[in-house]
Amino acid sequence: MEKERFSRLQMTALVILRVMIGWHFLYEGVAKLMKPGWSAAGFLLQSRGPFADLFRGIAANSDVLAVVNNLNKWGLTCIGLGLILGCFTRFASASGMFVLGVYYLCNPLLIGYFYSIPMEGSYLIVNKNLVELAALFVILVTQSGQYVGLDRILHVWFQRLRR
Amino acid sequence: MAEDDKKDQQASSGKEAGTLMNRRDLLQGLATVPVLGLFGYALNKQIGYEKAQQEAVASPAAPAAGLSEINVALLGTGAQGEVLLSSMLKIPGLRFRAVCDIWAEYNQKRTVNLLSKYKFDVKGYEDYQEMLSQEKNLDAVVIATPDFWHAQHAIDCLKAGLHVYCEKEMSNTVEGARRMVLAARETGKLLQIGHQRRSHPRYIHCYEKIIKDARMLGRMVTVNGQWNRAVKPDLGAPQRYVIPEDRLKKYGFKSMAQFRNWRWYKGLGGGPIVDLGSHQIDIYNWFLESQPQFVVASGGTDYYDPATHEWYDTVMAVYEYETKAGRVRAYYQTQTTNGSQGYFENFMGDQGTLIISESEAAARGVIYRDVSAPAWDQWIQKGYVSTPRVLGPKPEGGEASLDVRESVSPDEHRIPITFRDPYHKPHLENFFNAIRGTAKLNCPAEVGYETAVTVLKVNEAVDANKRLSFTKDEFSV
Repeated sequence: MEKERFSRLQMTALVILRVMIGWHFLYEGVAKLMKPGWSAAGFLLQSRGPFADLFRGIAANSDVLAVVNNLNKWGLTCIGLGLILGCFTRFASASGMFVLGVYYLCNPLLIGYFYSIPMEGSYLIVNKNLVELAALFVILVTQSGQYVGLDRILHVWFQRLRR
Repeated sequence: MAEDDKKDQQASSGKEAGTLMNRRDLLQGLATVPVLGLFGYALNKQIGYEKAQQEAVASPAAPAAGLSEINVALLGTGAQGEVLLSSMLKIPGLRFRAVCDIWAEYNQKRTVNLLSKYKFDVKGYEDYQEMLSQEKNLDAVVIATPDFWHAQHAIDCLKAGLHVYCEKEMSNTVEGARRMVLAARETGKLLQIGHQRRSHPRYIHCYEKIIKDARMLGRMVTVNGQWNRAVKPDLGAPQRYVIPEDRLKKYGFKSMAQFRNWRWYKGLGGGPIVDLGSHQIDIYNWFLESQPQFVVASGGTDYYDPATHEWYDTVMAVYEYETKAGRVRAYYQTQTTNGSQGYFENFMGDQGTLIISESEAAARGVIYRDVSAPAWDQWIQKGYVSTPRVLGPKPEGGEASLDVRESVSPDEHRIPITFRDPYHKPHLENFFNAIRGTAKLNCPAEVGYETAVTVLKVNEAVDANKRLSFTKDEFSV
């Protein structure tokens, strides 16, 4: 891996970005955990676009739906924790990108697809999900966890162990 | 990596044998942990805030300790008896002692088993007289038997010294209802009739605050109400639990089919207008604070087989009230062939419209302010209604204009009462609290009698095919 050289200010900015995204994920996860009987079915059933059948199929199959619900609740929470604490940052960012990608594909704003669901704001292909996904991409490739985060401690320990 | 880490690497290689990691590593490693602390704090505040909101609208928690226990018997544990029982199991301070139902093999057994799961050791009876003579420890009885038995059951229980909660309709005859009122008076025991909306927080809020206090609807001139229900097949019975003929006959049923579908038979029930309509027509009387003077009705067994459906499956009735504020015409319909828009009552005044329903699913409980009405700001401040959601005309393509013959859409406010308990719980609680002396009955026998007179006349009006009138004395005993 190339070692990019960033100034302290730049790294601080990246850490703040990482913590913000982490907080967002963490609250999304915790809010779902606290709501008894939360299910992804509502969101999945509203799916439009080329993958609509797949998502609706998931909602219809209660076994798969149960797994998906748990993955959502715990996954979001763990990704959020990982990002805030800077712990396994790369794994957390990659998973976060995957999650956001799936959410986007559930209701993709592709040209030619017009939905009757009223959305906040006006979007053309790019919506908030994609923006956050791109931001996570930045986090993924900049190792801010090793600058400020538990990854730094883990990294140091790992180096010690190797010697 | 940051520039200063290069310095770190140079420094760390020189202190292998020493500390595991230097202070910079530790500090920068743990620098974001306080963020979690902040998150936890914010989350805690949020939860506290939401809880406070919920408590503001929730019904008060279980009453204080030292609640005197009431010994209860259940008389009639069919479909409605089950509904009442599931509400009662959530009410503290009750002790179930006996269950009586003529369907010993099925309804009675099921209820006895259910109560034993809740650690109530109850005895099952088929004959209610036997229950009354053998059970010495009862305080109250909850009656959910077919309408034609209500009078006999209620009167005998009152005479045996018990307080009675009797399901609606009070009786299938005015005469039976009258005797019940007299028996309650004579014995001095409480008799509550099961019009449960009288204890429903949303209905009480609408009556006390919106209609009586604020008069937000202005002068009510028309009322509309309905209970539409989709087609339902007749109730059957599992073959191996069929009741023997002689027992059916002893209790007034010609057959098992009639026993299961008693509501449709003349002499046993009153048909949908009584089963369903009596709830809502009771609300008409309550909210209009008066009794009707005239009624005209049209109805018939238009859809189902008249041999098994003696009562009318479709009834449309128009009542005429002379209230203190003026004349009110109230329409009511019930049908059992289509369920569109379910059940609700709609009170229309010159300043506002109130649409209300017991059903939570229908999300009812809205009130519209007519554009010509005075502002409702003070009532919003007092929490009588929510802030409005403006429903203006939506121009399509920016060119549309409203036809001058159409009224401008009024603002929509919600009634800010959410109710998550079983529907019958408040009314049963009211009954038991009245027994303890901490409340007054919301639907005592006299009130139930007024409703019974009002409702039973509709069937007469359908038969007579002309406008029938009520006299003032008809409503009092």
